Amino acid sequence: MQITPLATDADSARPAAAFGACWSCRGPVAAAALFCATCKAIQPPQPLDHFARLGLAPGFDIQVPVLDQLYFGFQRQLHPDRFANAAPRARQISQSQAVAFNDAYETLKSPLARATYLLALRGLPIDGEGSHTIRDMELLDDQLERREKLHEAPDAAAVEKLAVAARSDAAACLGEISAAFAAGNLAAARLATLRLKYLDKFADEARNRRALLALKSEPA
Amino acid sequence: MAYSEKLIDHFENPRNVGAFDKGDDSVGTGLVGAPACGDVMKLQIKVGPDGIIEDAKFKTFGCGSAIASSSLVTEWVKGKTVEEAATIKNTDIAKHLALPPVKIHCSVLAEDAIKAAIEDYRKKHA
Repeated sequence: MQITPLATDADSARPAAAFGACWSCRGPVAAAALFCATCKAIQPPQPLDHFARLGLAPGFDIQVPVLDQLYFGFQRQLHPDRFANAAPRARQISQSQAVAFNDAYETLKSPLARATYLLALRGLPIDGEGSHTIRDMELLDDQLERREKLHEAPDAAAVEKLAVAARSDAAACLGEISAAFAAGNLAAARLATLRLKYLDKFADEARNRRALLALKSEPA
Repeated sequence: MAYSEKLIDHFENPRNVGAFDKGDDSVGTGLVGAPACGDVMKLQIKVGPDGIIEDAKFKTFGCGSAIASSSLVTEWVKGKTVEEAATIKNTDIAKHLALPPVKIHCSVLAEDAIKAAIEDYRKKHA
């Protein structure tokens, strides 16, 4: 049995291939293969995690240029133009494959989304069942103070100062998340990810606040 | 989805916004957050010697439903005993404000906030 020519180094990171039947030629096909080796028909997306789908080892520290390269490589193979004259079933599959790869890419590209996803994958999700509410005093006190200061900020310069501080704290958070995942300390990774999520929200709020202040300062 | 009049009223004219000194022995402070939306809610009660909640204040940074839920809770608890206040359920809040299903967690946050405030008060008087 020949492995589908994916032409990436990523195949080794994919889970050991189980075999299924190709929908088109009924021949055996590796479960993780994009195309049937025999009839070249595109195969439907398999229930892989985002890392496995893109051929990356699961972990927080990924090289974004490598992620880009892998993703765009797959995307070229799945481009709708390639399926313009294909059977309706193949066209439909190419679309669901594109959706699965886009979802994986978007999730892994953003450090916050990646950390959140990785925590869920490791069984310690930051939101969802049973963890709607948090009572981490240190985290919440800090956020309350930031939000109060933002609310009281008199002008765009004051808002910018708070935003800069939040960005620098977010960068420090990324370092903590990376170190915690590397050390296998999921609880610490979870806490730092929660903090990053709040800082991210704060950045949104600061943007809104600045827009509001800019509007107010405009001469009528 | 149209929001109810009660919800909009509480959002536009929130009651009891502010803070008490959290070091005061008669004050219980609850500070909770909803990580899914990045909300922070602080709810405080001021309890008289007779165990009746004399006053309540809140400060919420979050969506309109979270603000309205905490505003409503501060109104509800005034004049109640600590024990009575502890029985407030998120479902009552959600029903009163006619919260849409996607905003139910805001009422959960408000219930958790009053519970945390009561816990804090009880700890001070244990």
